[in-house]
Amino acid sequence: MTCGDCQELLSRFIDGDLEQERSSIVIEHLAACAECTVMCDDLSAILVQCRENEVGEEIPPNPAALWRRINNLIESELPAEIPVEPERKGLFARGWNLTFSQAGAAVIAIALISSLLTIVGIRNYFAPPGDDLSKSNEPPSVFTRVLRKVGLAETPLQARERRYKEQEAAIDYWNKRVQTRRASWNARMSEAFDRNLFEIDQAVNDYTMILQNDPDDQLSEEMLDSALNEKMNLLRQFSEL
Amino acid sequence: MFSRPKFGWIASHPGKTAILVCLNTVLFLVFSATEISAQKRFSRTFPAGQNIRLQLINRSGTVTVEGWDRQEVSVTASLEAPTAVITPQTIDGTILINLVRDNQGREVGNVNFNIRVPVTSSVDIETLIGNLTVSNVRGGLVRAHISSEGDIELTNIAAFQVTAQNGIGDIFFDGEMLSGGNYRFASLRGNINLRIPFTSSFKLVATAPSTRNISLGSFSNGGMNYLGDGRRVVGKFGDGNSTLSVTNQRGSISFIRR
Repeated sequence: MTCGDCQELLSRFIDGDLEQERSSIVIEHLAACAECTVMCDDLSAILVQCRENEVGEEIPPNPAALWRRINNLIESELPAEIPVEPERKGLFARGWNLTFSQAGAAVIAIALISSLLTIVGIRNYFAPPGDDLSKSNEPPSVFTRVLRKVGLAETPLQARERRYKEQEAAIDYWNKRVQTRRASWNARMSEAFDRNLFEIDQAVNDYTMILQNDPDDQLSEEMLDSALNEKMNLLRQFSEL
Repeated sequence: MFSRPKFGWIASHPGKTAILVCLNTVLFLVFSATEISAQKRFSRTFPAGQNIRLQLINRSGTVTVEGWDRQEVSVTASLEAPTAVITPQTIDGTILINLVRDNQGREVGNVNFNIRVPVTSSVDIETLIGNLTVSNVRGGLVRAHISSEGDIELTNIAAFQVTAQNGIGDIFFDGEMLSGGNYRFASLRGNINLRIPFTSSFKLVATAPSTRNISLGSFSNGGMNYLGDGRRVVGKFGDGNSTLSVTNQRGSISFIRR
């Protein structure tokens, strides 16, 4: 069996849907192939995670029947529904029948907004790439702030928290794998691993403290992100031993 | 009452004691010899074209790669006990040696590699612990990555893409920066020293957030800006034809004129 064949069958193998004979072939291949074993472990972990999350959701006793009932109810009520136009007030009380001055003002307003958006877009597009890296304490652009205000973009804090959660989940996963494999390492390997992990944790603590005092320090945020990625990579590489 | 004197047997049998001492000495010598013979050697040569790529993933030990003017790759290694399994593979112009995969779940000793490659080769070396040295390589790619501890030394390098990354340890690069090239050096704790020609042309982002020790030397000019309270230097040297990114989380960065 090739790795491609094995990886194609992994999902069914983990679900227990595979016939006995093919299941045995997959097990035999996994025993000999480290790459497929890692993939199998990863896939299992993802499935376990998904199943754990499913527990919290409320599942109706018979979802198909419930959905059918809702569907019937909607269909039965549709013809009876008489559309009621809401009473118009203010500027749009006469529909789109605007006066000449109102239409002119609207056109000017649209032109101004689109010009502003175009200028902001062009400035962002043509900004030299190095400048992005150099923005350590610069405030976000007006455009970005507007998007955040209306909820179309994540605030830096929201984005950071989301990213940290993802990184922490990955670190937890690799850390568990390291703990299971660690027993087979020699003393030199263990000591080197611990020293490096300590250094990374020190860096993470430093940046976290800086960010607590100055949440807008983009350079520390970038470095913290980098340090967490390094931690993840260190754990991942040592877990493969 | 009869009391048996201490070491009475030895005192009463001096000849047998001498034999026992001799036997112990012989046994000690035999075991020592076994330890010495446990250090094995691996040697293999591969025919190679101009654009051969060498990919080595080691667990622990030193790796030395040197460019030479022969169209072949020579791999020699000394293996400390318990000896690792080495099974090189050649796939689509790449010589792949993966000791992590080949020895998964086993405890193995250091493997010290000495590799010769054609000058125009691409070299991709990775290890968990140990020093990496690459010299006289002028191919498309030079990548040296140490997951934890070890120094990286790259000398006489002229490649379009150079990446050196380690945890605890120094990085030294002595080479050319080619137009359109991409150069990246990153360390957790150690010194990063870059020795490049004054005729180099690059866009630079150098970051040393903890020490703020970024010494540009001869490469300091009006186009370089210190940002974030001196934690980062951003700028352009010459026409800025290549990209240079240097990050040292808890160490220093120095530029030396070649």
